[in-house]
Amino acid sequence: MHQVALLSWAMAAGLAAALTTNPFYLAPLGAAALAVGSSLARDRGPLRSFALAAALAVALRTALALLGPVSRGSLAAAALEGARLAVVLLVVGAFNAASDPGALLRLAPGRWHELALAVSLALSIAPRTAEAAARVREAQRLRGLPTSGWRALPALAVPVLETGMEEAVTLAESMDARGHGSGPRTRYRPEPWGPRDALVALACAAGGAGFLAAELLGAGGIDAAGAGHVSLALLGALGLLTSPLWPWPRR
Amino acid sequence: MAEALSFAGVGFSYPGAEDPALRGATFSLPEGAFALVAGPTGAGKSTLLRCCNGLVPHFTGGRFEGRVRIGGRDTLEHRPRTLATTVGFVPQDPGASFVLDRVEDELAYAMENLGVPRGAMRRRVEEVLDLMRIEPLRDRSVRQLSGGERQRVAIAAALTAGPRVLVLDEPTSQLDPQGAEDVLAALARLVHELGTTVLMAEHRLERVVGTVDLAVGCKAGEPPRLGPPAEILAWLGAGPPVARLGRILGWRPVPLTVREARRAAGSLGRLPGPPPRPAAGLPAPGEPLLRAQGLHADHGRGSVLRGVDLELRRGEVVALMGRNGAGKTTLLRCLVGLHRPAAGRVAAASGRAPEPGRDAALCPQVPEHLLYRSRVVEEVAVTLRARGRDGAEAQALLEELGIGPLAPRHPREVSAGQRLLVAVAAVVATGAPVLLLDEPTRGLDPEVKGRLSELLRRFAARGGAVIVATHDVELAAALATRVVLLAGGEVIADGPPAEVLADSPVFSPEMTRVFGPGWLTPEQVARALGA
Repeated sequence: MHQVALLSWAMAAGLAAALTTNPFYLAPLGAAALAVGSSLARDRGPLRSFALAAALAVALRTALALLGPVSRGSLAAAALEGARLAVVLLVVGAFNAASDPGALLRLAPGRWHELALAVSLALSIAPRTAEAAARVREAQRLRGLPTSGWRALPALAVPVLETGMEEAVTLAESMDARGHGSGPRTRYRPEPWGPRDALVALACAAGGAGFLAAELLGAGGIDAAGAGHVSLALLGALGLLTSPLWPWPRR
Repeated sequence: MAEALSFAGVGFSYPGAEDPALRGATFSLPEGAFALVAGPTGAGKSTLLRCCNGLVPHFTGGRFEGRVRIGGRDTLEHRPRTLATTVGFVPQDPGASFVLDRVEDELAYAMENLGVPRGAMRRRVEEVLDLMRIEPLRDRSVRQLSGGERQRVAIAAALTAGPRVLVLDEPTSQLDPQGAEDVLAALARLVHELGTTVLMAEHRLERVVGTVDLAVGCKAGEPPRLGPPAEILAWLGAGPPVARLGRILGWRPVPLTVREARRAAGSLGRLPGPPPRPAAGLPAPGEPLLRAQGLHADHGRGSVLRGVDLELRRGEVVALMGRNGAGKTTLLRCLVGLHRPAAGRVAAASGRAPEPGRDAALCPQVPEHLLYRSRVVEEVAVTLRARGRDGAEAQALLEELGIGPLAPRHPREVSAGQRLLVAVAAVVATGAPVLLLDEPTRGLDPEVKGRLSELLRRFAARGGAVIVATHDVELAAALATRVVLLAGGEVIADGPPAEVLADSPVFSPEMTRVFGPGWLTPEQVARALGA
C-alpha cells in the first residue's frame, strides 16, 4: 500500500480514537488497528511493544483512579480514558510497523527533502542510540559504577553522546560523499499510486470527518456519557476506517 | 599511464590541534592501481584517505595546504558531493554509513542524489549487485546483514555512482577470515575487470600485502611515502609475520607472502627438532576460575549456544575464535553473568554462578563505551573506588600493565589503539580474576597488538585468566596458551594453538603455512635456528 494511503489511515483512525471514549467505538477501532498492523507489518516488533504499552495504559489509568475517592462511575470513566489512550497507541504502533521510513522520505517533495531526511535519519539513529545506551549501561555496571540516579549520569551519558556524535559525523560524511544535495534528485522506486490507495485515502478521510462532525455536533454518543447509545452513522464511519483491510483484486 | 590521484605538498592540521595530522604529502597514483595505506594508528592514514574526496578540509575545517587532484579535479574547488562521481568513499564502520533500510535502495541512494535517470539506475544496480556478488541480499534490511555482507553492501553503495577511484578505511578490520577474503576478492575484481583505482588502509598486512601493487606508508611527523609494498613496509619496519622473519634472518629480498617465504625457506632444509611450546614464562595452569557445563543459550529467535563445555584455569590466555555469528559474544556474556543460559550452568571459583564484574570482567567491543573521565588515570581510579579500593593505586596499576605514561592524557585524545589499552586497564581495576575481551579490533596495529599481548600476559602471570575473542589468527598464535574454536554454537576444537591452528587452512598462521604444524611465530622459528 502507498505510504500516503497508510498515513491517511493512521491520521483518521488516530483522530477517531482521540475523540471518543465510547467503548462500543473504541473496541472495534482497537481491533481494526491490530488487524491493519499485523496484516501490513514489515516488522512486527513495534506493534508488539505498542500493544504492551496499550495494555499498560489502561491498567495504569485505572489504578490511578483508585488513589482518589472511588465510585463505580469514576472507575469506569478512568478505564475508558485509559482505553482511549490505548487505542491511539495501537494506531501509532500499527503505522510504525507497516510504514517504511525510506519510502516516506522519498515521497517528500524536493523542497522538504532536508526535513524529511532529518526525520528519517532520526528514525534510523534512534534504535542505534538505544542499543549503544544499553551497552554502555552494561559496561559501567560491570565496572561497579552506579547505573541509576543523577550521579550515574556522566558515566552513562558521556560515552553515548560522544559515540553518537561520531556516528552522526560518519553518516553525514557518507551522505555527502555519495552526492547528497548535489542537485535535482531522481527516484529509484517510485511508489505507484493505484485506485486502491485512492479509495483507502478517501474512505479514511470520510471516516475521520464523520467522527469530527459527531464531536462538533455532540451527537452519536461519542462521549462516555452516551455509552450505550450508538449511532449507525458512526458505525459506518468506523467501517470506512477498516478500508486498508478490504479485499482488493490482484492484478 | 594517466594518474588517478595526486597529492602535491599536502599538509593538514585539525582545528585546535598543535601538530599537523599530515605533512608534505606528495605522491601520485596511476590509474588502475591497487594501493595499500599502511602505518600505525595515529599516523594520519584516515586523514590522508579523507583528503581524497575533500572531506578534509570541507567537512573538518582546520588548516589545509597543498593540492589534491582526483580524476583531474581539485578537491579545494569541488565539494565532496560533486566529487561523488569521481571517487567512492567507504568509512571504517559501514553500519553507521547506511542511510536507507533496504539493500537495493541503499545502492540507488547515490544515483538518486545525482539525478541519474531511472532506467540507467536500474541497470547499474543490477551490475553492481552482480559484481559484488550480493544479488541474494537485495531485499534484505541493512541492519540484518553479517559483517562481511555489510561491508560488501557499503562498497557497492559507493560504486553505483560510477567512480573511477575507490577509497576504503580498514575494510576488513571487523571481519572473520572468510568474510575478509570475500571483500578482498571483490576489490581485486574491481581492479582487474573494471580498471578501478583502489586505495585502502589496512592493519592486518598479512591479509592484503599479496594482492596490492603499491603502498603508501604513513609515519607520525613524517611525509607519507609511495612505493612498492616491500620497500614501504621495510621503511615502516612493519610487515606480515613472514616479513618479520625475513628481516630477523637477513633474507634478501624480504618475503611478503607465504609463497615467497616458502621459496626463501627452501635453503634452510628441515627445521631442527619439534617446535618448542611458545608463551613460555607463564606458570602452568592452576585451579579453575570459571567452568561452563552443557551451556545452551538463546538470543533473539534462534539458539546460539548448543551444549558448550569450557573450563578456564588460572594463568591461561585463551583465544576464542570462529566466524561472525558463531556465538562468541553470547558465550562471553554467559561467562561474565550478563546472559542467562537456557540450559546448563556457569560456575565461578566459589562454585556459584558468576557475579557480573566480580568473578569476571568484560572489556566491551567498543572501548569508547566505557570512557568518560578527562584523564586516563581517573578512568582507572573510578573503577577502583567503585570496588571499595584506594583510587591512589591507579597509577601503580597502569605501570604494572605497562601503560604508565598514558596516565595524564585525555582518553579521547590518545590513539584508537591506546584507548583500547586504557579500557582494558579500567576493567582490570575491578580486581576480577578473569578478564574477557570481545573482539578488540579498532586500531589494533602491530604496535598495539604487542602492547596488548604484553598486558594480557602480565595479567595472567599475576594469577588471572584471560579469554580474548578474536578473528586475528596471528594474534592468537602469538598470545594464546589455548585456542577454542566455536562453530554453530558448539566447541569444535579446544587445545594448544599449535594443534588447533594447524588444522584449518583459514585459521592457520603464516609460520604454520611455511614451516608446518607447531610453528606459530617468527620469533619462535628464529630461536630454533639460533638467530
